[in-house]
Amino acid sequence: MKMIELDHVNKIFGNGVGRVQAIKDISFAAKSGELSLVLGPSGSGKSTFLTIAGGLQKPTSGTVKIGGIDVGSLSAKERDRLRLNKVGFVLQNYDLLPYLTVKEQFQLIQRVSSQTISQQELKKLLKELGIDQLVNKYPPQLSGGQMQRVAIARALYQKPAVILADEPTAALDSQRVQVVGKLLTNLAHQRGETVIVVTHDERLRSFADHVYQIIDGQMTMES
Amino acid sequence: MFLAWHEIKREKVRYGLVIAMIVLISYLLFMLVGLMDGLKNENTAAIEEWRTETVWLNKGSNDRLAESVLTYQQVASLPQTDHFSLIGDQPVKMELDRQHHRHAQTLQFIGLNSTEFIAQKRVMLTSGHQVRNSQQLVLDNSLKQKGYRLGDWVVLNGGTKKFRIVGFARNAKINISPVAYGTLKAWQQLRGGNFAASAVISDRKSHDSGYELKRYSVQQFINKLPGYTAQNATLQLMIAFLLVISLVVIAVFLYILTMQKKQQYALLRAQGIPAKTLVMATISQSLLLIITGLVISTGLTVLTVHLLPAGVPIMFKINNMILMGIGMVAIGVLGALVPALMIVRIDPLDALK
Repeated sequence: MKMIELDHVNKIFGNGVGRVQAIKDISFAAKSGELSLVLGPSGSGKSTFLTIAGGLQKPTSGTVKIGGIDVGSLSAKERDRLRLNKVGFVLQNYDLLPYLTVKEQFQLIQRVSSQTISQQELKKLLKELGIDQLVNKYPPQLSGGQMQRVAIARALYQKPAVILADEPTAALDSQRVQVVGKLLTNLAHQRGETVIVVTHDERLRSFADHVYQIIDGQMTMES
Repeated sequence: MFLAWHEIKREKVRYGLVIAMIVLISYLLFMLVGLMDGLKNENTAAIEEWRTETVWLNKGSNDRLAESVLTYQQVASLPQTDHFSLIGDQPVKMELDRQHHRHAQTLQFIGLNSTEFIAQKRVMLTSGHQVRNSQQLVLDNSLKQKGYRLGDWVVLNGGTKKFRIVGFARNAKINISPVAYGTLKAWQQLRGGNFAASAVISDRKSHDSGYELKRYSVQQFINKLPGYTAQNATLQLMIAFLLVISLVVIAVFLYILTMQKKQQYALLRAQGIPAKTLVMATISQSLLLIITGLVISTGLTVLTVHLLPAGVPIMFKINNMILMGIGMVAIGVLGALVPALMIVRIDPLDALK
């Protein structure tokens, strides 16, 4: 099932001499149980692709569907709700609040989202990710790898239709890249999640089911 | 509340400083309100104890009790009822010359007619008995702390006539001066001339007028007390400025704290956490800080009141304190609106920058 679909999407910033087309006629689809890797250098339009795919901003033209819902037809509040319930972000800076323990990061989501996994499933998930002993720790007390796993668990806690990861291996050594790569593959293959990773890190290539390249806003799929 | 409480708990030093600032501001506010109420009370305690509603002074008295004298003809021009009481007011110097204790005290001598309602019902004794003849005085309770005792003999204005202290009364203060209650006859002797009284007091609202008399409602009369309005206006202005300063300081603090958390908020917004949740977190954080600050400053104020010497004119009216507390809470909410506006405008896209 296609969990995320972009159809002839364009994104233009500014106008006149300052006009920049960040995304050029991209059509893209990702299914459940697949890990899609979107590679590209800095300034290629990767982040714009991620924000449009995640419903953070609307495209200038074209349609975006998340879990079958057309993002373009939604108000800002409805897009908030869609992100909360359908999209799990794993961002480069781990998006954890420094003053909440690992356990409290989940409690925060539970307070605002109507759709979370059960406490039993959460315990199982934390064990799978090897962070079940860290629930009472604050983010500054965790290593980069531990924070990343907590961020992934937090994203999965919302039962998302799709997981969007932005540069998840930035500043990690090769050994850690292997760990994160396997983790993302397992999310797709074992848990059946739709995982889209946007990165410039070629080391993740071997973990992907599909690899896309973005250069100057144009996306191509590698065979 | 969830985010607000956990952040305060984790960032104790940062929020401790904000609370300390709120404590100092609200402590100063409480002390100023206490001083204002204390001074008000010292001006009006006796007038309120008499349950005054209407006052008549001589038309030419320049609105001042001390400058008003009424003739018998003027007094007789008012209808005679049980709710009228004549008072004779005269500032005097009272001297005590007891063995090992000499003391001089400036006070307001208030002469009363023993058959009228103030002498009969509105001089509230804490010890001793009411004045029975023209050689007896009932003093304000505060004079006990200056060494005056029941049975002491005093002289007024350096005269030869001696007065015996036969009682002490509560709330016997007028225009920041203790009162010595005596008879109207004694007042006439002190004042000289053939006058009936200084003023007529009624404990009922009245529109009666008399010959060459000017009628005042109790509030008009109080507002005309020398220095009363200027003193109140000064303190009220200080309190108003302090409230405005509190608003600015709280808003600036919360704004700076929100600025520092802008990236965190953008991350939360990107995850789909509604702006409303973050705005409520900021408002509840402000309320938590203000209420904690108010509780501490109330404790400090109570402690200060116990440590202050009795002569300091400070008085805490629970209603006014609650009003100031509510004012501070309202200011906290208003102060949180500035960062709340900022939160609403945060672009979730900033999370990826």
